[in-house]
Amino acid sequence: MILNNIYELRWKVLPPAAGVAMIGMAALALITAPTEVVEGDVQRLLYVHLPSALASYFAFSVTAVCSVLFLLKRDFKWDSAAQGAAIVGLIFTLLTLMTGSLWGKPIWGVYWQWDPRITTTLILFLIFSAYLIARKSTSLDSDKSARFCSIYAIIGFLDIPLIHMSVRWWRTLHPQPIIAKLNPALPDEMLLVTLVSVLAVILVAAWFITLGIETELLSQRLLKLKAIGKANISEKS
Amino acid sequence: MSEVGFLFAGFAVFWAGMFTYLVILQVRIRNLQNQVDMLENTIENHDEI
Repeated sequence: MILNNIYELRWKVLPPAAGVAMIGMAALALITAPTEVVEGDVQRLLYVHLPSALASYFAFSVTAVCSVLFLLKRDFKWDSAAQGAAIVGLIFTLLTLMTGSLWGKPIWGVYWQWDPRITTTLILFLIFSAYLIARKSTSLDSDKSARFCSIYAIIGFLDIPLIHMSVRWWRTLHPQPIIAKLNPALPDEMLLVTLVSVLAVILVAAWFITLGIETELLSQRLLKLKAIGKANISEKS
Repeated sequence: MSEVGFLFAGFAVFWAGMFTYLVILQVRIRNLQNQVDMLENTIENHDEI
């Protein structure tokens, strides 16, 4: 019911809300946020890098939840929803890696490092790329393929806690958590801009997920209609 | 490239990535919707005959 209500908002509420939030985010990130003393202006990439990462976690969480629901209910709409959200997750993971790379070059001196957090994020990208390749290379109404891919997506989702904990468990170039704790290490002004940015990008991700789901549902419907059409033709002949 | 250059590149990649994906989604939804409508009409007409 809640999912249906969110889905109904995909053209009326989500686009203007996401648009306003994104314009606000850009203004706050580039104009209002104070310049960091050590890294300088390039630190402002935090306001797109971190929200992109959180948006990808959000999208893959939707994929995992929809995969569980598919396994429980065997309704292909949940399989379609899982696929629609996984594509959005991949887009935001790619944006996370690219913005991180552009932030890393002036700070670390290199575009890429085999740092635990970056490596586990790359693994997340590869896991869900494989999920989509496997799911798209088989028939959309194949129950066996949908079941295997759902189980694979749930297992693949376990990489997200690993990414989150990687900065605590291993030596890494990434900082320890600066927001997700009782006394955030960020100054209040930067914290506010970060929270607005996260909200804006999550809204965009939610909108993209609803559109992605719509695309997958339409593909399912098209497949059913083609099957009906074929059945009609063979009946007449 | 200067620090501001990397900042600009990062924001450009972020915005361009999102806009491109949005356009691809819109085009794909429109194409699929057209195909679905066309097939539904064809099946309806076929049933009437």
